[in-house]
Amino acid sequence: MDAAVAFITSFPLVLVVSLLFEGIDRKIHARMQKRIGPPIIQPFYDLIKLFNKERIIPVTASTRVFEIMPMIAAAASILGASILLSNTLSGLGMIGDLILVMYLLAMSSIALMVGGLASGNPYAAIGFSRKMSMMIAYEIPMFIAIISVAFGPPAVLTIDRVIKFQISTRLPLAVSSLSMASAAATLLLCIPAAASVVPFDIPEAKTEIIYGFLIEYGGPYLALAKIAKAVSNFTLTLLVSVVFLYIPSLLGEEALINLGISLSICLAVSLLIMFATITVPRTIFARLKIGQAFKFYWMLPLALSILSIILSVIGL
Amino acid sequence: MVICMFRLSCKSMMFRVISKGRVKSPWIFHLNTGSCNGCDIEIVAAFAPRYDLERFGCLLVGSPRHADVLLVTGPVTRQMLPRLIRVYEQIPEPKVVVAVGTCASSGSPFLGSEMVEGPVDRIIPVDVYVIGCPPRPEAIVKGVVTAVKSKFR
Repeated sequence: MDAAVAFITSFPLVLVVSLLFEGIDRKIHARMQKRIGPPIIQPFYDLIKLFNKERIIPVTASTRVFEIMPMIAAAASILGASILLSNTLSGLGMIGDLILVMYLLAMSSIALMVGGLASGNPYAAIGFSRKMSMMIAYEIPMFIAIISVAFGPPAVLTIDRVIKFQISTRLPLAVSSLSMASAAATLLLCIPAAASVVPFDIPEAKTEIIYGFLIEYGGPYLALAKIAKAVSNFTLTLLVSVVFLYIPSLLGEEALINLGISLSICLAVSLLIMFATITVPRTIFARLKIGQAFKFYWMLPLALSILSIILSVIGL
Repeated sequence: MVICMFRLSCKSMMFRVISKGRVKSPWIFHLNTGSCNGCDIEIVAAFAPRYDLERFGCLLVGSPRHADVLLVTGPVTRQMLPRLIRVYEQIPEPKVVVAVGTCASSGSPFLGSEMVEGPVDRIIPVDVYVIGCPPRPEAIVKGVVTAVKSKFR
């Protein structure tokens, strides 16, 4: 497929699919609690409503930063998701676009943090500081896990090359070697914190600090923040399913010819990953304290990610 | 003429989509203005699995900036008066107010007390009154749904 066409079509695709994913997540969450739950298209209703509400900017806020940051957050995460999706579809990649996607994801959460801090609300400041510590906890293992792909058997940081490597070995990367398996496990363990769902929703703890940095956002700004969060969750799951668990590679060369089939398999796998790493933890766990979360991330995922680097340097 | 009609129909379509979105996702902010906690428990019960307000798209939000529906319980005490007004003003338009419980609706046993400024409709405009001491969860569900449907459609 033509790269430009793929890039342009992936913008609306990313928005619709990530909002649907959020709807499915809420529905499954409700069913697991024996509730009926909202309809699957509930996030669309929410967005329509939020975009048509009044804009309120608090007097304590520094107006420009407060207004612009949600837009930057939404733009960064949509851009990251569509780069990932279009490079998967078109087979044309830039060098190091894996790093670019990770950077854009971090960018989107940092933009939300800064915007929340600019509101001048003390709860937002608490949320900011907690998110900062959480990012130190989960970003490092996540980046090491991504970088270990470059040390490992594929030896590249281009999404398209990684896919082609998986197709040539006819195995998903996570199964092909021990180092890549531990890198995939690291990334999966980091998703709940990056999506800030319940065991690690310390920065925006709804019942404790009232959504943290989102507290003063309302109306269209909140809608943009919601889009940013939904799309970045989707990007994380898609990243794991494309880079580490590319199931269509079992089909061999046909995965590159029948793009529709391989894309739908990828989306199904990312839905499963979302179920396992976002829906299940947020239903069955309670919130941790920041110290516990920090300890967990620096004990298990960091150790796993360093192990994956060491293993890939050895050649396992 | 044709273009004008087309634009009109587009506009009405837009309005219908927007009002559908508003009716389908009322986010609720709950404010206790000196209630005895009975109504608050019933509000929480309305969100619990048996009555499940979330099936109408409702969410219990913690910040008035996110909310569309203000659920007020209690006869407004003197301490809560400025806070009630402030919270009401912090909710972005369009918004509805539901007075939950007899205290909030009429001031009931506290009416005429020196410490009480209520009932709620003396201070802010109220759209729906849910009476009962405390009202049953299904009454609260019906109150929220009626308020949203009558005001946002």
